Amino acid sequence: MLPFRTRGYNGYGVQYSPYFDNKLAVATAANYGLVGNGRLFILNIEPNGTIVEQTSWETQDGLFDLAWSEVHENQVTAASGDGSIKLFDLTVGQFPVMNWKEHTREVFSVNWNLVDKTNFISASWDGSMKVWSPQRPDSLLTLSHAQDFTTKSSPVESTARPPLSHQQQHQQSQHVNTANCIYNATFSPHSPSTVVSVNGSSHVQIWDIRAPRPLQIDYVAHGGLEALSCDWNKYKPTIIASAGTDKSVRIWDLRMITKIDQPHAHAPMPAYHIRGPTPLNELLGHQFAVRKVQWSPHDGQELISTSYDMSVRVWRDESNERARFLNMKNGGCKGVMGQHKEFVIGCDYSLWGEPGWVASTGWDEMVYVWDSKRLQ
Amino acid sequence: MDRLQQLSGQLSPSSKQSLLQKNPDDVVIVAAYRTALTKGGRGKFKDVGSDYLLTELLKGFIKKTGVDVNLIEDVACGNVLNRAAGAFEHRGASLAAGIPYTSGFIALNRQCSSGLMAISEIANKIKAGEIDCGIAAGSESMSINYGPNSLPNLTPALQDNPEMQKCLIPMGITNENVVKKYNISRQKQDEFAANSYNKAERAVSSGAFKDEIIPIETIIAEEDDDDNIVYRKEIVDTDEGPRKGVTAQSLAKLKPAFAADGTTHAGNASQITDGAAVVLLMRRSLAEAKGYPIEGKFVLCSAVGVPPEIMGVGPAVAIPTVLKKAGLTVSDIDVFEINEAFAGQCLYSAEACNIPLDRLNINGGAIALGHPLGTTGARQYATILRLLKKGEFGLTSMCIGTGMGAASILVKE
Repeated sequence: MLPFRTRGYNGYGVQYSPYFDNKLAVATAANYGLVGNGRLFILNIEPNGTIVEQTSWETQDGLFDLAWSEVHENQVTAASGDGSIKLFDLTVGQFPVMNWKEHTREVFSVNWNLVDKTNFISASWDGSMKVWSPQRPDSLLTLSHAQDFTTKSSPVESTARPPLSHQQQHQQSQHVNTANCIYNATFSPHSPSTVVSVNGSSHVQIWDIRAPRPLQIDYVAHGGLEALSCDWNKYKPTIIASAGTDKSVRIWDLRMITKIDQPHAHAPMPAYHIRGPTPLNELLGHQFAVRKVQWSPHDGQELISTSYDMSVRVWRDESNERARFLNMKNGGCKGVMGQHKEFVIGCDYSLWGEPGWVASTGWDEMVYVWDSKRLQ
Repeated sequence: MDRLQQLSGQLSPSSKQSLLQKNPDDVVIVAAYRTALTKGGRGKFKDVGSDYLLTELLKGFIKKTGVDVNLIEDVACGNVLNRAAGAFEHRGASLAAGIPYTSGFIALNRQCSSGLMAISEIANKIKAGEIDCGIAAGSESMSINYGPNSLPNLTPALQDNPEMQKCLIPMGITNENVVKKYNISRQKQDEFAANSYNKAERAVSSGAFKDEIIPIETIIAEEDDDDNIVYRKEIVDTDEGPRKGVTAQSLAKLKPAFAADGTTHAGNASQITDGAAVVLLMRRSLAEAKGYPIEGKFVLCSAVGVPPEIMGVGPAVAIPTVLKKAGLTVSDIDVFEINEAFAGQCLYSAEACNIPLDRLNINGGAIALGHPLGTTGARQYATILRLLKKGEFGLTSMCIGTGMGAASILVKE
């Protein structure tokens, strides 16, 4: 297990470079991301097993996620708490080479398109997702649940969800509203135009950015509690995993989400509806909310998840979407990485070398690089 | 600090936030009122039936709320003792009160939860989109209908069936079973009962019930000096059940009523009482469009089964069930109204669910106020809505004869 300390900054996101087998980028935020600066670290894993900092940039607000460019080996984007998205170049010190400011609230996720490679997507607490090209100063497309993408006269999408009360006094809430917060949006590794997203009102949503009405599938995934993370299976194009504050990781086959499970323009999903379709598999074990879930790039049945319970868990999903009656009972949790001493937020599988290597980061200011096959 | 609150919401997830949201398709409570509760057999309602109570209360209710009666699409009324749960006379009562014949009527009987089942019935119809506005009520005259006539008719072939026998155990005996099984001392029961009397007495003398009671006119039959029966009219606006100066010591002197070695007696069991209660429910979009005030939001109701011989434990099962279904915990609930059929079963249920007693039956319960069987569920709504502050959660629950429990959750707005 190789450690690195991001001194003074609490880790939020970590990702292996798609170009160099020894390079990591880590998005961090001071003061646990509640208030203050952020810092993006570029780390090198040396041949002798130490991890050293190559460079880093400080930002005005905390950084909550990052995505390496798939077309430029020196570029990496970062999602900031002030609503901006920044593009950094490893050869340019001190300042980002691009800064996009369109989101009006915290950006919680950025993800590069693995197929098209020329664009990436961001997801924000302002309830929208935006697709960007690194060459363009403005976003290419905005995806949002409440928005009508067809015509001005028939607001199809907005009727799919009942609007909040029009009475002023009924709109005030003593609680912070995260219902519209999109925590994670990820491009499919199988299609250049398909995106999965999860939000604070427990929905998993599948989008096609080519379609005039991009929202394709929409269902309640975590019993009305917040859904925090989602990822595509790298081997099975219709299989996704989602994770949320109900402490579960759920595996879904998108072909099995029927129209009945989804809100419809003429029969909107009632506001009290918190029960969704049945997942293909459910992985239980985390003691607190699951913050991130990721499928292995080497094995279509393996995934890892990070949680506020300070652990990273390695799971085996034995569910067989082709024949559920053949499901083996020997899946489940295959290992627990308990090295972190605080919330674990970010993780990434290495694409390189022997399968199974993982990097994780969290609030204990630590980045650990470890082998998920050698956990006790 | 939004980010901090967001994080704490993720760490201790609760459905509280989403239940507090106001959506146009919510079921909301526009108004809930009740009559005064009077003593069975000798109180001021002793000479009028449940139909009369319902009519008079509905008249007062319509006047007080100013609701457009043409909006009412269905009326559900809970009742236990009338023949056929009052299907005939309560339909008549609703028409007599001025609700048009275009509105439907359904008589409901799930024993002591009938009033709550009426609320659940109307709320579910609104949720399902069958109706937009309905009245849920409960009306009971124990003076007239309580007694040997309320015993069931059984086929002789089934009479000795042990399961059937369990459903025929008198309620007092089921409570003796509960206190024996869970070791609840007479001392504890009497303290609980005295506390209920004291809380209710304080509420009556401080005028806490003024807002929830609609005064109605009653007819009392009296004999004059020549032994002729004369009818006197009188306005009733005060509960008769609560009495002053009840202490655990004074209750300790009472003899057990159901078993020689028992602990249940007249002072720690619910009273035999007459009364009615009415709740007006609407879809939020309709209430807002028509400009009616919104008192609260109905969240969920659950009914569960328990062994008939210890039916008093019903709330101990129903409360966790409804909380789990709503995604809440006991600590999310600010006020509990659990029917005090008997001190023993109510105390057991509260303790089994870890309900703090200072949030339970704040204005006293059925031991002091009385338990008009089919009315109680709706009566609790009239009471709890006055005890909750804006944004607080309330829970009502009761045990049900023949072995059930019911519980419901609402939010004050």
